Amino acid sequence: MNQTENGELKLPTFSEVCDAWHGVAQNAQTFNRLVNTDADIAQTPKELIWTLNKAKLYRYTPVVPEEERHGIPLLLVFAIMNRPHVLDLRPGHSFVEYMLEKGYDLYLLDWGAPGPEDKNLKFDDYALEYLPRVVRKLKSVSGANEFSMLGWCLGALICTIYASLRPDDGLRNLILLTAPLDFSDKKSSGFSRWTSDPSFKPESIVEAFGNVPGEMIDSGAKMLKPVENYLGTYTMLWDNIEDPSRTTAWHAMNTWVRDTIPMAGAAYQQLINEFYKENKLIEGTLKIRGEHVDLSRLTASLFNVIAEGDHITPPCQSEGVMDLVGSQDKELFHVRGGHIGIMAGRGAEKKTWPHLDEWLASRSELAGDG
Amino acid sequence: MGDSKETFNPFDPTGMLKGMRDSNMDAWAKMMGELVHTDAYAESTGKMLDAWLSSSAPFRKVMEKSMSQALANLNLPSLNDISGLNERLTNIEMRLDDLDAKLDLFLSKIK
Repeated sequence: MNQTENGELKLPTFSEVCDAWHGVAQNAQTFNRLVNTDADIAQTPKELIWTLNKAKLYRYTPVVPEEERHGIPLLLVFAIMNRPHVLDLRPGHSFVEYMLEKGYDLYLLDWGAPGPEDKNLKFDDYALEYLPRVVRKLKSVSGANEFSMLGWCLGALICTIYASLRPDDGLRNLILLTAPLDFSDKKSSGFSRWTSDPSFKPESIVEAFGNVPGEMIDSGAKMLKPVENYLGTYTMLWDNIEDPSRTTAWHAMNTWVRDTIPMAGAAYQQLINEFYKENKLIEGTLKIRGEHVDLSRLTASLFNVIAEGDHITPPCQSEGVMDLVGSQDKELFHVRGGHIGIMAGRGAEKKTWPHLDEWLASRSELAGDG
Repeated sequence: MGDSKETFNPFDPTGMLKGMRDSNMDAWAKMMGELVHTDAYAESTGKMLDAWLSSSAPFRKVMEKSMSQALANLNLPSLNDISGLNERLTNIEMRLDDLDAKLDLFLSKIK
């Protein structure tokens, strides 16, 4: 409220009050548009080079001349219950764009949205049917015999399984981002606590729905921080509604969050029972298509990125793997931020991406390139 | 979050709500965060979900059965038929993928 020079209260005029309400009405319209419409995300040009069932492999159009590019191509593998667009959120704030500018030959595996007919897909299929074929195609297109792989969340789990089972496929560098691998501490996260309760039966969910609905997975993730996710995000938007840079960023992120996809029923059941409840990967008892997954066979250079404020995959779920892998060249890297924020948040281009590039660039030259 | 130190303006239509929110939300978020991370919450949501799924299962089965019957009477494929077809198509895709890879290898050798 305004005050005059001698400290007296100056009541707003009728016109000023009307203007204030008009401003609120305009902001409400903007708010409604941002919450209920989709922004243009994943805009970086790419070419579809391979498909299998719902999975697609893309190659991003390089922006750096071939002679200046790194010799070792990089494959991005995101989780199976979200779209991978978060890696290429919006022009000017995209990890894909950043890595292309740094001279990487970049490939993206999009697992696609499973239909009811895909309810029997398991981690076995993702790690030993799809991923080896993707790698074969990538090598054929790039002409390189070696490659790097970046796995995020459940994508990191699949990459870890694959890297342990197929150490001779040419994987030189493995980057794990917020990788849920070690479930020994049942109280470490909301998910661990919820799924370890005997009354939680993934079989019943799968029997009822076939695939686990995207909305159900989304609600589960949001319930880990209910006030922040159901209220805080919208109050933050309202507070910044007149700041185009903040609203553009919020709109892009909300578009990605809203675009939920189901998770294949068998994979979900396997995730809860064999990983969350029985911790088979770390216990050394995991078998994928009858093959024993031995982490000591993972020998690629390893960069394991931990989000310190991650409430979905708490640091303890990712750290334990460092002592079990066979890699000689391995590094644990902590970043301040949350599960998604470390890669897609406002500070990602300063606190995360340059470190990934720095680590990978020195390991991405072909032998003999000097 | 907005700047809670802003001077309170009663003529700002959203000012009052904002003040209330800023003073309570952090505490509320902390309380809810702690609540959902308790064993009691895990047990109660697990039981509720289980009860809902178990009680709706008989109805779901009746629906599925009558739907399959209706589709069969209309000579239309059921979900199982489509799933089987998808499996066969995926197998064919995999064989084509293998052939494609062999062709790539062959072409790279004769170049």
